[in-house]
Amino acid sequence: MSTGPSRRKALALAAGAALALSRSAAAAAQLSDVDQLERLLALEQRLQSLYETALERDAVEPGLGETLLEHEREHVRGLEMALRARGRRSPRATVPPPQVGTAFASRPAFARFAIDLETEAVGAYQGVLATIRSTRLLLPLGSIMTSGAQHVVALRQEAGHDLLAPA
Amino acid sequence: MRPVRPRLTRRAALGGAAAVTLASCGGSDPPPTDGPEAGSGAAMLGSLAAFEHAAAAAWGAIGERLRGDARGYARTIRAREERHAERISALIRELGGEPPEGRPPEDYAAQFPLMRNEDEALRFASDLEEQLVRAHLDALQTLPREDQRRAVAEIAAEEAEDLATVYASSGEPAAQLPFVTGSQ
Repeated sequence: MSTGPSRRKALALAAGAALALSRSAAAAAQLSDVDQLERLLALEQRLQSLYETALERDAVEPGLGETLLEHEREHVRGLEMALRARGRRSPRATVPPPQVGTAFASRPAFARFAIDLETEAVGAYQGVLATIRSTRLLLPLGSIMTSGAQHVVALRQEAGHDLLAPA
Repeated sequence: MRPVRPRLTRRAALGGAAAVTLASCGGSDPPPTDGPEAGSGAAMLGSLAAFEHAAAAAWGAIGERLRGDARGYARTIRAREERHAERISALIRELGGEPPEGRPPEDYAAQFPLMRNEDEALRFASDLEEQLVRAHLDALQTLPREDQRRAVAEIAAEEAEDLATVYASSGEPAAQLPFVTGSQ
């Protein structure tokens, strides 16, 4: 099966979603803590939706998919709690449903697609950890970031790649 | 699949103690006498750099007990720890400080637990990487500058990847917990 065009399409979808969610590092520095938490929540909701869809379509090994989905639910729950503690009663973050198509065409294709989204989320956390004002959030957000980094390794294993990316 | 929580055994506790000892490897180094001012982050960065030097030496010893893919990953991780030490050292130099230098591997070896086989080596590796994750996440809370926090956050993510690789090399799930603090 040729995955070239499919992968390009999946990456384009991811890039489109990322464009809507992302901010430059400089802009991130100007965002309030609530803005930053909402941005992370949107990324986590997208991942949660991604794994739900992958499980429905058998695009991920069920044990791995259930574990990653449960982690994402915990991340969403934690971020929502942090937002509520800052007076945000109804988080504004919303997430579009995953696009039907190539990302779910096979388990390796899904793993590659999910690696890209998890990597993007880890990068977003790193930006937030560098700039967020509330030092009390650093450890909990850091512990979600490190969980995301481990998701990437699990997905590389699922995709049949080396566990660690080359330097 | 339920998340797997590592069991605490006596051997694990001993390995963990060794990892904690390594984490304090910078403790006997003399404090800087001049250069960066208090609160600059240099002292914390110095501790991290010393820990990374020790971790690189530890991975050299761990790798000697591993075979196959795990041995290759040990080489990769050792090189990553060396790069981390260099990156943190550069931050210290930017502050006008003198980063701690790595010592010869034999100087660290006495602090490693006995590793008679692959299982014991992987247990030590797991303890070591958990301590590295924890040290970097803790450091975030005291570093004042954005570039320092970003570098340490990026390194923490790589340490978490290394920990996941150790889990996978041990036949365990690579991703086990939703919040990875390094103190599981």
